[in-house]
Amino acid sequence: MSWEIQTIADRAAGATSMAEVGAYLVLGVVLGLAIVSLMGLILNYSERKICAHIQCRLGPMRVGFHGLLQPIADGVKLLFKEDISPRNADRLVYIMAPFISLLATFLIVVTVPFSPLVQIADLNIGVVYVAAVSGFGVLGVLLAGWSSNNKWSMMGAMRAGAQMVSYELSAVLALLTVVLLSQSLKLSEVVLSQEQGWWIFRAPVVGLVACVIFFVASCAEINRTPFDLAEGESELTAGFHTEYSGLRFALFFLAEFVNMFLVSAMLVTFFLGGWMPFHLGGLTGFNEVMDLLPPGIWFLGKVTVVVLLFMWVRWTFPRLRIDQVMNLEWKILLPIGFANLFLTSIVVLLDLYLF
Amino acid sequence: MGFLSREKISGTQVVGDKRISTVQAPRPQRKSFFFNLYFGTLSLLKGMRVTARYFFRPSTWVTQQYPENRQELKMFERYRAELTLKYDENGYHNCTGCKICDSACPNNSIKVIDREGPSGKQEIDRYIWRMDTCTFCNLCVMVCPHDALEMTGRFESSVLDRRLLVYQLNRYAGATKKNIEKSKDSESKDLLLKSFESRTFYEGAIPLSTSDEKGIFDGRI
Amino acid sequence: MIEVGSLKARMESTPGGLKTEEYFVNMGPQHPSTHGVLRLVLKMDGETVREVIPVLGYIHRSIEKIAEHLNGRQIVHLTDRMDYLSSAMNNWAVSLAVEEALQIELNPRIETIRTIVAELERIQSHLLWWGVLGIDLGAVTTFFYGFRDREMITDILEETTGARLTLNYIQPGGLMFDIHPHFVKRVKEVLAHLKIKICEYETLLSENVILQNRLRNVGILTSEKAISMGSTGPVLRGSGVALDLRKQKPYGVYGSVEFDVPVGSVGDSWDRYWVRVEEIRQSMRIIEQLIDNIPEGKFMVMKPAKKLTLPKKSYFGQVETARGILGVYIQGCEKEEPHRVHFRSPNFNNLWVITQIAPGGKMADLVATLSTLDLVIPDIDR
Repeated sequence: MSWEIQTIADRAAGATSMAEVGAYLVLGVVLGLAIVSLMGLILNYSERKICAHIQCRLGPMRVGFHGLLQPIADGVKLLFKEDISPRNADRLVYIMAPFISLLATFLIVVTVPFSPLVQIADLNIGVVYVAAVSGFGVLGVLLAGWSSNNKWSMMGAMRAGAQMVSYELSAVLALLTVVLLSQSLKLSEVVLSQEQGWWIFRAPVVGLVACVIFFVASCAEINRTPFDLAEGESELTAGFHTEYSGLRFALFFLAEFVNMFLVSAMLVTFFLGGWMPFHLGGLTGFNEVMDLLPPGIWFLGKVTVVVLLFMWVRWTFPRLRIDQVMNLEWKILLPIGFANLFLTSIVVLLDLYLF
Repeated sequence: MGFLSREKISGTQVVGDKRISTVQAPRPQRKSFFFNLYFGTLSLLKGMRVTARYFFRPSTWVTQQYPENRQELKMFERYRAELTLKYDENGYHNCTGCKICDSACPNNSIKVIDREGPSGKQEIDRYIWRMDTCTFCNLCVMVCPHDALEMTGRFESSVLDRRLLVYQLNRYAGATKKNIEKSKDSESKDLLLKSFESRTFYEGAIPLSTSDEKGIFDGRI
Repeated sequence: MIEVGSLKARMESTPGGLKTEEYFVNMGPQHPSTHGVLRLVLKMDGETVREVIPVLGYIHRSIEKIAEHLNGRQIVHLTDRMDYLSSAMNNWAVSLAVEEALQIELNPRIETIRTIVAELERIQSHLLWWGVLGIDLGAVTTFFYGFRDREMITDILEETTGARLTLNYIQPGGLMFDIHPHFVKRVKEVLAHLKIKICEYETLLSENVILQNRLRNVGILTSEKAISMGSTGPVLRGSGVALDLRKQKPYGVYGSVEFDVPVGSVGDSWDRYWVRVEEIRQSMRIIEQLIDNIPEGKFMVMKPAKKLTLPKKSYFGQVETARGILGVYIQGCEKEEPHRVHFRSPNFNNLWVITQIAPGGKMADLVATLSTLDLVIPDIDR
């Protein structure tokens, strides 16, 4: 089966009138906004429910059926809360920081291939773009901690800076293995290259190792529990967003959840075949059965599984110490990542794919 | 067990003049990089198995939906939440106004006010209990020689003004059930019954602080 | 090739070179991991703690002074509010002193029930500590597991004593109530349940590689230092000294039951952690030996309203609470009210250990150490 890729940017390029181009532009922006806000709500609710059930609780039950409207209620509450800024805060930076945080997530949403027909733009340097823009997120956290004029926030920001920049390396190394395997930097082609099988299965061992490295590194990049040092509730009270309240706090919150979605989407795109159905080499009959489900459903299903995994990890483990976080990156993940990259090149050269 | 052995080392230690049997935690040995990596990862996966088990078993969830389950919610019979006088089916209590509970109360939450009854005997006029200073230590119930008091489980007593937490426990002033039954001749019984004053609520000055308590708590505390 | 050591030495010695500035940070009185209103002033160098200065007094209620106006029976209920997680043991300490003053002989039933209730209280205290340790180290889920199992024990205590936390159960001369008819059955149920759950705790938290790394070789308290700081309880035992009043000067029926004293070897946070988890097991062992043969008898050997006139002498009662040795010193003056009452509380001494073992560690180590010291702040200030 051949897949026809058509992104919104492609359609806009092939448009006949300016009005049509404008319509596609609006569609792209609205789609991006809708994904960000919808994911924020859905992930907020599901995280609460999942952590509650892991902890033998029920979670939100009051607003709507089984608390379904709870995230909206919370959003409204946060909207009406007073927006306090500390007296000696760096006002401009303080106000800007949450928006910068959110901006990074917006910029990545643009490239996510939800299905062959639903993608806002398909850059031919997609992997480089994703790696570069995701580094932007640390800026928001750093600025927030710095401008709050609070020592706890400052400590959180410094931790976050050190941690996120370090783990960027491992994440990119893991992505590079997939670039080697798929021989393309374009996200749609990375997905298409997995038609014979997802890289996590098809590349012997190296795919799995790269996937695990990417999972751990992205866990650290989005500041979730074993690596939530930047917030460090019990140590730094709330870390970089201690002083934030109301809508600005909500923006940080939103960015955190959307980041989790994006990281899962990237993991799915690179290692679990993106929107590509589960294929096994030349088994045509089996592959055709798998193709019955539309690719969009495949993508969302896989993302759901990865997000669940993130939440499961978060609600099980204690937090690492800052020097242990650094040790894990520089002494364990990075050497393994490099070795893995080397092995991948051997796999590619000798054509050692499993199927 | 790999990462952490569960076998304890037992031994003895002499502290002072006693020989004490002890158990000691095993210290793990320093192992190679790959050993640690393997067993470290394994320990993480085992932990995740525990949380997953709870996630998939709704029978282990323990949340109680409080205001909704008011009907089914039953406190234990000894639960100490509110001091009450025991009343029998005729509405009589056993309190004679002997003030033992008053003196046993560690923080002066109880004030028993007596009056002289028609037969010249002291009898209960008002039994006042301040819930706001009460620590629910149960000493009043314990020391009561007439078994007149009890603690009940009515725990929903929040109010918006702490002055409302001052209760009068007796519904009438006058003789106890025992005294009424003892008096054989109907004339004195009638007299006793006549001396009853039904009290449904506390009418006196509501004490706000120690300075306002004069006459009720004589400024003690 | 530049050696790291020499580079560091050069950085420190160069006057205008790379220097770090130390700063002060207030940890508390409102901070999630001080578990109450404890304030620690930290002198920090980046992430490293250089000095810890505890500031006390935020929850001082002058319990000792109030106790001078109360009689022996009334003092008991105040001790509930000191170390609220081991209130049964606190009650027992006062009762021991008052019984010594009045020379009250107790029957074996009272002693046995007291021991069982105290051990139940110890288990629930350690379960709560276990959960809270999880939250301090970032594992929120353990908190709920610890509380869920603790709830079963508080339910038993509530059924028998009528209160969940401030029991006021052990009175001079006996007990407030007899045990509830369901008591024995429910205690057995909980023991069976806990036996499974403790293995689960070990899998979930104790054997977790992250926890091991967070606790091992962190906040090392040598046995000499532990003794000289006057620390007691699991903090001292974690340093390898098997001092346990239940063995040393047996009260209640501890003399006739078999149990081991868990001790650590190095004195780091992990040792203190392990000692507490093992103490849960040992407490279960004690209860198992006693629960089936509670002797018959009265639950109160004197009249409840008897006057407790304290002769003009001083009395001392001490028990091993969940956190260490609680001593109660009472001086009588031929009246019901004592002349002077003093509580030697375990948490006060255990707190000052932090000034010795936290400097040099990271900020996160301080939180871990503070958590394994298992402080209850109202007991420090009283």
